[in-house]
Amino acid sequence: MNGDSAITILFNDDISEKLTQKVIGVSELIRKNLNKSLIDIIPAYQSLTISFNGELISFDKLIRDIELILSLPLPQEDYQSKTIEIPVCYEDEFSPDLESLAYYCNQTTEEVITLHTQPTYLVHMLGFLPGFLYLGGLSNSIACPRKKTPAISIPAGSVAIGGNQTGIYPVSSPGGWHIIGRTPLDLFNLESDSPFIAKPLDKVRFTAISRAEFLAIRQSTL
Amino acid sequence: MSLYFIKPGMQTSIQDLGRKGQMHNGISYSGAMDPIALKVANWLVSKPLDSAVIEITLVGPVIRFEQDMFIAITGAQFELSLNNKPVFNNEIIQISNGDILSFGKLITGARAYLSISKNINVPKLFDSYSTHLTVSFGGFNGRAFKQGDRLNVLSSDINEIYTKKIPKYVNSFYAGSYMLRCTSSVETDLFTDTQKASFTSKKYSVDANSNRMGIRLKDIAMEFDKPIEITSSGLMQGSIQITPIGLPIVSSVDGQTIGGYPRIANVVTADLPILGQLKANDKVSFIFISDSQARKILINQRHILNALHE
Repeated sequence: MNGDSAITILFNDDISEKLTQKVIGVSELIRKNLNKSLIDIIPAYQSLTISFNGELISFDKLIRDIELILSLPLPQEDYQSKTIEIPVCYEDEFSPDLESLAYYCNQTTEEVITLHTQPTYLVHMLGFLPGFLYLGGLSNSIACPRKKTPAISIPAGSVAIGGNQTGIYPVSSPGGWHIIGRTPLDLFNLESDSPFIAKPLDKVRFTAISRAEFLAIRQSTL
Repeated sequence: MSLYFIKPGMQTSIQDLGRKGQMHNGISYSGAMDPIALKVANWLVSKPLDSAVIEITLVGPVIRFEQDMFIAITGAQFELSLNNKPVFNNEIIQISNGDILSFGKLITGARAYLSISKNINVPKLFDSYSTHLTVSFGGFNGRAFKQGDRLNVLSSDINEIYTKKIPKYVNSFYAGSYMLRCTSSVETDLFTDTQKASFTSKKYSVDANSNRMGIRLKDIAMEFDKPIEITSSGLMQGSIQITPIGLPIVSSVDGQTIGGYPRIANVVTADLPILGQLKANDKVSFIFISDSQARKILINQRHILNALHE
């Protein structure tokens, strides 16, 4: 149970792309089957949290339905994952913590940028803030413990490293991660028909851009 | 056709019952922290119970009405005056163009709800009018009201009003000391019996840093021999997370959708409205009840509130 109005299914497998496919697959099946009695369903690395309307479905019926769904084979049609290029300006103005992170990791700032732009990252889930992507695939060589004292306000679009994770702040927010750059893209855009840049199972790549390119993209999105 | 904010109050914003169904995109519900008081306010002015209202926090606003209408105020009790004459919570108040409503000293609770018989004109985003104050979207320009703001209202078909008395069983007295009922959560079993006993044996003071994201408590709930490591997962309203130094944080309407601290318990849904009435130095303690008891309490509470629909 996750309180009296939600349950959380925990998966024992290690965090991986395969597990995320399973979590998302089960999530879609539950969404289709529970209809109105479902309020929210939150996929995460190794879990699925389901909040339900207790007036429309009894708890026992919900558990039976979910056990049935879990016993079904997952749909074979794979989600056509997109690869999203996210331009990032790593220059001083947008990267207050790049130098200290490089120092901690015993790398040059250029090496940090290369290591950050090399991998193709997997979107495991969205959460924490609207449009925040939980990405898997950060190089261990640039992992760095979170700051002891979080910054009071980190600007929207900031690209950061915290522990063994990397992410982008979709809106300005307090935060304890190390800021190494900024993207001119909007990760949460209410004006758009698709307010979120990516979905779980999509892939993300970072490309380094100059300050001039950053400003040009920013201009064109206004 | 508007409400003019002569003084904004500490945190005055538009809220309804929140935007549900978007947690997988990282959007928490927002909405009134005390949804019962919101429903009662709407009921008094004969509006649909889920209508958007103005949520008022600790220090209330001074509002000039630029339109005739009816209003009702519920939830936290303030010293209220209309054109310098006292008015009261839980009653229908008739307003004439030019009237000035002032919220004075806070008497009990933390959040009051002002419902108006006209319709509040703000955009609907993801099926809700609520303001997400931590992310700055929704409601009135994504923010709390400031001095000099003018909130436009639209006509509604409510032109006459019936005197209504709030049913006795709808509580609107906030004592400042509460026993919150809770049930088990995802990580409850990762805590030792000693830790659980310690958690429920204490009386906690509410920290002044509490807000719509969460209620922070000032007292250490337990000691850890070794930290409880968990993988982040979906975080529901009412989740009681224990930070590494042992302080409880109760997640609320604007909270994160995914959390990484272990949860010892969740406040039952029926008691979530109380979170909206907690203020600094109020006292809370926790008691575990069974899942079936929680469901009975919730069904009973819904039954009471459904009576308002009739």
